Amino acid sequence: MEKNNQQLANNLRKYRFEHNEITQQDLANKVGVTRLTIHSIEKSKFSPSVFLALKIANIFKAKVEDIFYLIKK
Amino acid sequence: MKKIVHYSTIVLGGVSLISFIIDYFIFAELRPKMINFEAISQNQENLILVVGAGLLIFLAFCLLSLLRVVQYLKKAKKITPVYSLLLVLGVLCLLFVFSDVALLNDINKQYKFGLEQPEWLLVYPIMAFQFLTAIIFIVFHLFGFKKENQFEDVAKDSNIFLVAQYIGIVCGLLGLASASLGFFFPRAWNLHMHTTIGSIVLLIPYILIVGYWLSIKLKEKTRGWYDEKQIQDIGKSSFMTLVASAVFMISLFAANYNNLNGVVSALWLSLYLFFVLTLFSFGNLYFSRKD
Repeated sequence: MEKNNQQLANNLRKYRFEHNEITQQDLANKVGVTRLTIHSIEKSKFSPSVFLALKIANIFKAKVEDIFYLIKK
Repeated sequence: MKKIVHYSTIVLGGVSLISFIIDYFIFAELRPKMINFEAISQNQENLILVVGAGLLIFLAFCLLSLLRVVQYLKKAKKITPVYSLLLVLGVLCLLFVFSDVALLNDINKQYKFGLEQPEWLLVYPIMAFQFLTAIIFIVFHLFGFKKENQFEDVAKDSNIFLVAQYIGIVCGLLGLASASLGFFFPRAWNLHMHTTIGSIVLLIPYILIVGYWLSIKLKEKTRGWYDEKQIQDIGKSSFMTLVASAVFMISLFAANYNNLNGVVSALWLSLYLFFVLTLFSFGNLYFSRKD
């Protein structure tokens, strides 16, 4: 079996700064999660559900794959 | 309303400080007589009511102070070590009010039965600790809670969840220490009663913070009690707690296999509860901070 050597990365920080430097807390309030969750997503330590990823993309009026993408570990 | 509570808390803190000073002089009068088993007049015995009233005021001050810290942390940008320490001090002071009452009660009983009163050695340092903590809290009430360290709006709570874990660790460790004392002093205690009352008292701060957390959850407009990362963290710490508590209880059973009707029969439930509380809280805090 092939070993999973891919990881989810993101441009969330870049998008936050391009959208009036919205804070992690403001983004968390808009998508209904805690600030720590946004922080962990940004650091690629937590992979969001499809639902949350879509909500985040919706806030920035972007496609999910523009914000989230796969990289090799 | 907030201002009334704020100023009332400071006044209660000031009265608590004065009452601790009065307690010192009351003890200075009573202690030598009780140690030497000299007669105490009714008026002198009534002084203990003053001590009791002072402790009640201090209890109210501790509860209001802890509420202020928790309300502040609800929207804080970061739970700094200073505020974590303040929480721990507040919880300890709250619990020590119950130990003050228990110690003074024991001293009174032992005096009446003509027994030594080694509890005096504990009363002074505990009250000194409470006195110093009251000063620290008053300073924080006056200067410590700054608005610039807070967010304007928090739709989904994470800080009170973390605060509950801090308090869970403090209560859990104290509960483990308190229950373990039964192994060292099995004959000096009415084990079942002391363990039960001790466990209930030590759970009070945790029950209060969980109650406060529940009240926040009921007011939140977002869906669900936890967000998806918190569910993942709780899942990890629950699994860790399940495995570790099974190992802990099996070890306790094996270590006491030849005396299962002995001391361990009175202590196992408290040990289990506080072990689970400590580990679960620690796990939640660790996984929340780690990722």
